[in-house]
Amino acid sequence: MAIDGFEPRIAGFLCNWCSYAGADLAGTSRMSYPSNIRIIRVPCSGRVDPLFVVKAFQQGADGVLVAGCHLGDCHYNEGNFYSRRRFALLAPFLDYLGIQKERFRLEWVSASEGRKFSDVVSSFTSDLKKLGPRSILSPGGRE
Amino acid sequence: MARIGVFVCHCGTNIAGVVSIPAVLEAAKKMPGVVVAADDKYSCSDPGQAHIRAVIEQNKLNRVVIGSCSPRMHEFTFRKVMVKAGLNPYFLEVANIREQVSWVHSNDKEKATAKAIDHVMIAVAKVARDEALFPKRVPLTKRALVIGAGITGIQAALDIASAGHPVTLVEREASIGGHMAQLDKTFPTLDCSACILTPKMVEVAQHPNITLLTYSEVRQVSGFVGNFDVEIVKKARKVDSKKCTGCGVCWLKCPEKVPAEFNEGLGTREAIYVPFPQAVPLVPRVDLENCRYIKYLEYMPGKTPGKRPMQCRICEKLCPVQALDWEQQDEVVKEKFGAIVVATGYKTFDPSVCGEYGGGKLPDVISGLQLERMFNSSGPTGGEVLRPSDGTHPKTVVLVSCVGSRDEQRGRPYCSKICCMYTAKQTILLKEHDPEVQCYVFYIDIRTGGKDYEEFARRAQEEYGALYLRGRISRIYEDGKQLVVLGEDSLMGRPVEIRADMVVLATGVEANEGAAELAQTMKLSHDVYDFLTEAHPKLKPVETQTDGILVAGACVGPKDIPECVAQGGAAAAKVSALFSQEMLTSDPMVASVDNARCIGCLLCVQVCPYKAIDTQVLRNGRTVAVVNESLCRACGLCPAVCRPKAVNLRGFTNQQLLAEVNALWQ
Amino acid sequence: MESLDKQIRDKARELLTSGAFACVMGYERATDGKTARPLFAYTPEEAERFVFDQYCTHNLARYLINWRDNKKSVGIVAKPCDTRAINLLINEKQIDRSKLYVIGVACQGIMEVGWGAPTEKLELRCNTCSEPNPVLHDLLVGEFKSESPAAAKAYADVAAIEGKSAEERDGFWQEHFSRCIRCYACRQSCVGCYCQECFVDELDPLWVGIKVAPAENTVWHTIRAFHLAGRCISCNECERVCPVDIPLSLLNRKLEKDGLELFQFQAGMDASVTPPFATFKKGEKLGTGD
Ligand SMILES: Cc1cc2nc3c(=O)[nH]c(=O)nc-3n(C[C@H](O)[C@H](O)[C@H](O)COP(=O)(O)OP(=O)(O)OC[C@H]3O[C@@H](n4cnc5c(N)ncnc54)[C@H](O)[C@@H]3O)c2cc1C
Ligand code: SF4
Ligand code: SF4
Ligand code: FES
Repeated sequence: MAIDGFEPRIAGFLCNWCSYAGADLAGTSRMSYPSNIRIIRVPCSGRVDPLFVVKAFQQGADGVLVAGCHLGDCHYNEGNFYSRRRFALLAPFLDYLGIQKERFRLEWVSASEGRKFSDVVSSFTSDLKKLGPRSILSPGGRE
Repeated sequence: MARIGVFVCHCGTNIAGVVSIPAVLEAAKKMPGVVVAADDKYSCSDPGQAHIRAVIEQNKLNRVVIGSCSPRMHEFTFRKVMVKAGLNPYFLEVANIREQVSWVHSNDKEKATAKAIDHVMIAVAKVARDEALFPKRVPLTKRALVIGAGITGIQAALDIASAGHPVTLVEREASIGGHMAQLDKTFPTLDCSACILTPKMVEVAQHPNITLLTYSEVRQVSGFVGNFDVEIVKKARKVDSKKCTGCGVCWLKCPEKVPAEFNEGLGTREAIYVPFPQAVPLVPRVDLENCRYIKYLEYMPGKTPGKRPMQCRICEKLCPVQALDWEQQDEVVKEKFGAIVVATGYKTFDPSVCGEYGGGKLPDVISGLQLERMFNSSGPTGGEVLRPSDGTHPKTVVLVSCVGSRDEQRGRPYCSKICCMYTAKQTILLKEHDPEVQCYVFYIDIRTGGKDYEEFARRAQEEYGALYLRGRISRIYEDGKQLVVLGEDSLMGRPVEIRADMVVLATGVEANEGAAELAQTMKLSHDVYDFLTEAHPKLKPVETQTDGILVAGACVGPKDIPECVAQGGAAAAKVSALFSQEMLTSDPMVASVDNARCIGCLLCVQVCPYKAIDTQVLRNGRTVAVVNESLCRACGLCPAVCRPKAVNLRGFTNQQLLAEVNALWQ
Repeated sequence: MESLDKQIRDKARELLTSGAFACVMGYERATDGKTARPLFAYTPEEAERFVFDQYCTHNLARYLINWRDNKKSVGIVAKPCDTRAINLLINEKQIDRSKLYVIGVACQGIMEVGWGAPTEKLELRCNTCSEPNPVLHDLLVGEFKSESPAAAKAYADVAAIEGKSAEERDGFWQEHFSRCIRCYACRQSCVGCYCQECFVDELDPLWVGIKVAPAENTVWHTIRAFHLAGRCISCNECERVCPVDIPLSLLNRKLEKDGLELFQFQAGMDASVTPPFATFKKGEKLGTGD
């Protein structure tokens, strides 16, 4: 039941060493994907405070992506293990508050996975299109 | 006031062909704090850079955003432009509008332009919150500490010393040499271990840049790269090494005999001794546990069992240079080092826990290392292979590989890597010592990765007639003078029974005694087996999480001699590269703690992968966290867990990231 | 057996007489003659006023923080949930176990004392309680219970919310959050909210807008609860003190429930266990980012 003409807004927090580089590679390889994502570079997925995710939703994001290196490959070895724990708890909590868990994604994209990055953004965008705008909740965001 | 300039790069048509540059410029001019927006054909080119500089100067800009390719490409280039324009290089943000915009959204120019504008806006929001950062220059001590003097540590010390830097080499035992000194001949070339090791040991002793501290241990390490403060305990030998000439009368005449550790318990040594004849330094030590005179001194009537021993002191009486010094005490050496190489090696698995091999109770079931000592002409048997039980020559020898390796049940699931090869070597040497010997080898797989290794292992079977049986041993027991070895030939699928004169267990490699404690002293991480962890298993094999501390050799995991030598050399190269700098510059993009906010929960201390956070007690008695900037690698884990937002990461501060989030959509 | 009151008074008197203790905190009868209020006894004489019964509702562990940097020791009368709070504070290095004497009371449940008259009804926290015995004590008074009567019901109300549709959940919480007046009574009463400066009070960066509006309130409540994830010990003081009856416990216990499922962790049970966000297991399956 995709809503006509609805273009979801995605906030993407990408770790500098893997996922940001993976997104760059998608560019270098000219893999096109939907333009719905806006990207914020962070040193590591472990830098992403849940507050940033909540604030992004408050800003009107329909979906938030946090992406880092594959487990075991974090530039700082352990950062993504910590971020995984944090978001494993945050995602169901946001869902409980009414922000469906499909609106949050934690993905591991390596520097060589340009294809994976573009796939993630494409599928996330189409999922969010189906889900529709963040209804009543988008406080401060769109009506 | 922030005076921000936005520069948009066309990148030829790479960006301009998709993104409407005029639209981006138009939008940028309206963004808060932006004074000027300009474009360039190629911002990174010389004319582009000159133009940016000129615009900065004309408009008295203090912050700059460049909309261009990925910051991973040219952030550094543009930082240099900032410096040339007289600005702090950290007042710069790069908006990625090529890799993450024009190259991926070329099918929709309008949407691409909208995204480019948002990316520029995000960068403008961030740059307004940028702070001036200044790299720190810290002096460095160009002196290296090498811990452990097996072949790895020896190689590292020699290489650093030859590069012209002073090295202190610390060895726990009374002599350097490590396990390699115990070996007889080495695979795959069968050259004699001592012949290739001894010259290196002597070179260590004579090298003007090397200070050798044997029978010594590292007690404490603090500080950081370039500036480690280390405490080393020099244990009392009771022999003045300055006077001792190594003549050897003392140990020749000492009446006390105890099992010789260096010979793996075969044969004896004296209570004043050098572990082996080629020891470096050739200075004996008194074994305080067994020396009769020490026992006499420590005797407490009524408490110590037995009679008071005699006041022996024979060594003291015979020593031609009066080198014995009963007053000598442990001495603590405190020194500064710029880098540390850890090369503390390994120990072998203790098979006495394995009931199937006789639990260490059958005298003729020996370890691979014991066999090495028997082969050796200066060893306990004068170079003859003899059964410990009755001193006869064994004719049938069973060698068992993977003892304490690839054994989930005993908590040793990993492969020890060297045993297949040394077992093959030992079958050859057994045959060479006595052509009548027949060797049987029980194995799981034969692993012979390495130059000339496979050929070597084949020779053992084809030329030296060793019979290889695939399978595990289920039991060994004594029957008369012989040993009965029960096992299984899993290729043939049938049980086998061999009556043998001797069994040699290829005991696997384990982390050395005290490895975990030493790691803790240096805040290094180790795996569940206590092997030290390298910074990256492929790309940083000798580095650790802590800058300036390197690891090499068997302390990281099972390794043979060629690998150990390569790693020792690699660690030395890293040290030399570090020491080629006059000062160390530290990255200013690190974490720092606001004392007023910090509540001392120390969550940050627990998550920091680099142990870069310590505690300090403020004057009001409160304990707070403090970041050691030299250790911080700027991962940003700490600010993400800090509830009161007391710790922040420069360059990616809460203020900057929140500004970016707030700027996400216009 | 001696009465609870007497056992507490005797011990408190002994501690205060010893000279090593600056204060013993517990409860005394309130002026209404029925309910209880906190008592901070500084002298052996004051110790005579201690009481304990089912109206001793406050979680006094909250006040231990005030003694953090004091040289002398303190004593505290603590119910099971309060002892979990003490463990939390020990784990977070806010109090020194060696300077603390815990008079643990095995609890019979606490009666609801709202803004009106005292009731005979058990508090919500007691109806969902999973640990009716002190998890930490130097002296134990009252009767040790072999099992928790309420443990099975601990998360029934949470599960009920989980069962609703996203729209319903959204509507449910927006209704509650929109009523929040941001008085921060919940924070003031919380044993875990001891930051010098709370993120919500920070002006730079401004995490939560100053305006009392649904959007800002949502951020406040989301992060307040999340900052207590793996830390909330379910004493439910926050909900008790909320003047507009926001069911804060439903937020806290959702996180507790998931924390138990994902990390097998429950706050305050053992001060020596590393909290869930400060550790990890490599192979664990968490349902997010596996
Ligand atoms: C039976 C057997 C046969 C082998 N045959 C061969 C062969 O033929 N060819 C081959 O290539 N390899 C062979 N090996 C492997 C070889 O022994 C190792 O590869 C090599 O010796 C490892 O060198 P290392 O310096 O890393 O460790 P080690 O030799 O273990 O040296 C470590 C040194 O550090 C010291 N030390 C430890 N802890 C501390 C501390 N805390 N403070 C100070 N000093 C400390 C130790 O006393 C020791 O001197 C064999 C091994 C065995 C068991
Ligand atoms: S996490 Fe924050 S409050 Fe806790 S010790 Fe670290 S800096 Fe201080
Ligand atoms: S940023 Fe990372 S490395 Fe630096 S102190 Fe914080 S946790 Fe440690
Ligand atoms: S650096 Fe990529 S997740 Fe840590």
